[in-house]
Amino acid sequence: MMTTGSSHYDLDRMGIIFRGSPRQADFMIVAGTVTKKMSEIVRRVYDQMPEPRYVVSMGSCACSGGIFNTYSTVQGCDTFVPVDIYVPGCPPRPEALMEGIIKLQEKIRAEHFRWSRWR
Amino acid sequence: MEPLEIAENIREKFPEEVLDVREFRGQVSVTLRKDRILDVCRHLHDSPDLFCDYLVDVCGVDYLGRKEKRFEVVYHLYSIRHRHSVRLKAEVPEQDAEIDSVTSIWAGANWHEREAFDLYGITFKGHPDHRRILLPEDWEGHPLRKDYPVKGPEKEWSGFQDVLDRAKRFHEFEWHEPGE
Repeated sequence: MMTTGSSHYDLDRMGIIFRGSPRQADFMIVAGTVTKKMSEIVRRVYDQMPEPRYVVSMGSCACSGGIFNTYSTVQGCDTFVPVDIYVPGCPPRPEALMEGIIKLQEKIRAEHFRWSRWR
Repeated sequence: MEPLEIAENIREKFPEEVLDVREFRGQVSVTLRKDRILDVCRHLHDSPDLFCDYLVDVCGVDYLGRKEKRFEVVYHLYSIRHRHSVRLKAEVPEQDAEIDSVTSIWAGANWHEREAFDLYGITFKGHPDHRRILLPEDWEGHPLRKDYPVKGPEKEWSGFQDVLDRAKRFHEFEWHEPGE
């Protein structure tokens, strides 16, 4: 994610800028293993985001729990937040994350009623 | 000092405490009774020719079904001044899973002992802050014990169950594409 954001791959050129707070964010990336103890915090971050909001699940662990089918890991963050885009890979290449975000842009573009006043 | 000399030194000083001395690839492990572990550690820390001032690690081991005494607490000691190291193993039975804390000698043992307590359920007597360190405080059981199910107990941990319930409750407020 850091590589994708920095100059070599450069998310800024697509208009994607990291924000310091979930309250200013349009979407969030769940990157890495989500433990049961951490799930509450992830959910709280999601709840703080203003609507419309989207979630990108990045990496095998966030998508499905990955190799960690144990007592402490959540089997995919889609069990407690609604996920729009899954980016698999362990870890995903920067290109994969970029494609995921582009797919999210396409998905947003294809939504008809969400952005109007009469939703 | 050579590792075996350290082991001999401990054996001379505490002859009834040392159960076994083993060497493997130049590393020496001294198996001890648990009752006077604090005295042995104090001796290793204070005596000028041993001077093990650095406690590298404290960990727990579960030998379920392999040894008579189920648990072991392992101390890795190192002397920065003399550049020698030694490993202490203290046997802890399951019924009385308790051992003296060495935090009074090495303050760095604090979190290591909390971890061993958290994951193995070994109690450290005299620990200043005897709580779980990694798992939530209301977690049941000690997951690194060999008889703990890998995928956890049947009943979900209440904290995560709350998150799941909240996610279910909030689901109806999410936006869905019409006709989806």
